[in-house]
Amino acid sequence: MMRNDPIKHVFIWPAVLVVLAISIFPLIYSLTTSFLSYRLIPPIPPRVVWFGNYVSLLQEPRFWNAIYTTTLIAFIAVGLQYVIGFAVALALNARVPGERLFRVALLLPMLLAPVAVALVARMIFNPTMGPLNQLLGKFGLVNLPFLTNGHWALGCIIAVEIWQWTPFVVLMMLAGLQTLPEDVYEAAELENASAWQQFWGITFPMLLPISAAVVFIRLIESYKIMDTVFVMTGGGPGVDTETLTLFAYQEGFKKFNLGYTSALSFLFLIAITIIGVTYLALLRPHLEKLR
Amino acid sequence: MSGRGLTGLSPWGRRLVTAACLVWCLISIFPLYWVIVTAFKTPPGVVGGPTYLPFIDFTPTLQPFIDLYQGIRGAFFHTFLNSTIVGLSAAAIATAIGAMAAYALVRFEFRVRLGAGLAFFLLALGGYLLFNITFGFTRPQALLLAFPVALAAAILANRLPLPGPILGNEDILFWFVSQRMFPPIVTAFALYLLYSEIGRLGFQLIDSFVGLTLCYVAFSLPIVVWLMRDFFEAVPIEVEEAAMVDNVPSWRIFLGIVVPMSMNGLLATFMITLAFVWNEFLFALFLTNSKWQTLPILVAGQNSQRGDEWWAISAAALVAIVPMMIMAGLLSRMMRSGLLLGAIK
Repeated sequence: MMRNDPIKHVFIWPAVLVVLAISIFPLIYSLTTSFLSYRLIPPIPPRVVWFGNYVSLLQEPRFWNAIYTTTLIAFIAVGLQYVIGFAVALALNARVPGERLFRVALLLPMLLAPVAVALVARMIFNPTMGPLNQLLGKFGLVNLPFLTNGHWALGCIIAVEIWQWTPFVVLMMLAGLQTLPEDVYEAAELENASAWQQFWGITFPMLLPISAAVVFIRLIESYKIMDTVFVMTGGGPGVDTETLTLFAYQEGFKKFNLGYTSALSFLFLIAITIIGVTYLALLRPHLEKLR
Repeated sequence: MSGRGLTGLSPWGRRLVTAACLVWCLISIFPLYWVIVTAFKTPPGVVGGPTYLPFIDFTPTLQPFIDLYQGIRGAFFHTFLNSTIVGLSAAAIATAIGAMAAYALVRFEFRVRLGAGLAFFLLALGGYLLFNITFGFTRPQALLLAFPVALAAAILANRLPLPGPILGNEDILFWFVSQRMFPPIVTAFALYLLYSEIGRLGFQLIDSFVGLTLCYVAFSLPIVVWLMRDFFEAVPIEVEEAAMVDNVPSWRIFLGIVVPMSMNGLLATFMITLAFVWNEFLFALFLTNSKWQTLPILVAGQNSQRGDEWWAISAAALVAIVPMMIMAGLLSRMMRSGLLLGAIK
């Protein structure tokens, strides 16, 4: 039952005001700035260039490189997180021995500061002092260029992302698994359905809505990736691992090219929105079929 | 593998699954173990190649921590204090006002006309341009003037019978949650410019407690509202109805009945928000420079400042990590009681 009491405004307005102020102010500010040619260093008075910033950005190879890198990291990392995370959740749900210990161990990585995690990763991937190269050295692979070769560095960043965020998938899928009704499985068992058939016939489709939500959240969050890359490679070697956020930071905070950076962040916002809407549109028929 | 057990698996399959879990667990734990042992190593103990076991492989030392405390590698103690103060206050404020909003969305009915929302945005944008270009106010002044005008006009417009759809509580909730989709760089960069222009008017926001906390509160609110709504929905409405029969005012129902009943949820939400603020990097990077610098910035800076001094870097990373390890322990105990189940529905 919904009540109607004037006090409801006292309850909701503080939160609405804070979010409005912190989201609308910057939105208007950077939207208007993105149509200007505006630099702090050297200080030139702002000049209206309309879509000039957007046009030069779309012609900039470094921008497309950043989009490509970010997309690559996001899709590969989230895909693997989902597969590994779902598998671990299924195993934990099946009451493997020592399940409680696993739970604490699993919760840990995602609560740690990505900056600190990236520093630890740098140590582990270190060519002379790191344990990973020593381990691989025993198999005859000596001094792999973990962070100094573009492809390897991308792989390392993806590995760190998977390490840190698979627990989130496990947590959500585990919670989803625990809401599944028992009787469906009992019926399947009477029909002699194998475990494999039960998974594809019952578990997977019933968890599709929550899977969709988990993948969506992780995908959007992965597109924002910055701290891990900032510490691990700084975008290097060259610009091989430069993500969108890092590119915007370099342009805005190192070169103080304000109009350009505002345009960049708006393109970023548009890209995220397109990805989000496409994802939801692709998924909608599958989700509705279940109802 | 079914959803409820490894019933269809042979004993060997079961062992295989357990082993796979163990492997993943080891992968999860090893980096943590590595940072802990490295933090207790002496410089020669690190440079000489990887060693694994304290007292057997190398002799542990407390020197990296003593260096940290003495401030040889930056004002660590001060920064730790900053992170704690900003984290606790931002999490407390966000949880408090977020919980209020979530309760309002669960128990009261709201109707917002889409037209009023659009009017707000257009008036804010138009008013800003008008005040800035035509009347020659500075940019932050123009924004501060346009905001209340647009808000007042939108509230009035909401009472008019405008055409277009009417948005309900679900849509307001969606608006809150959708704020999380925003790439933070858009806000961080614009806030940095805005804060520095406000600073020129004489009100210091960059590198200040107010500026940083305000921004963290705004960015935590979507999660808080989302999580708290589920906890409040689980509170049986009969209790509240009984209180209403006795004419207890709504704010006393909220503070006296609903809040105590969802204390666990509030606590979990508070801790999740605290972890989020504690680990946050991008906003701190833009909005602080020395006085209110937080731990992630200082830890990230260790890397470039003095080269690869891993023993010291490990100690620094450990300081940032340990409080969150304790929280993981606490949260996992709450998780076992099925607390976070409701949060995902």
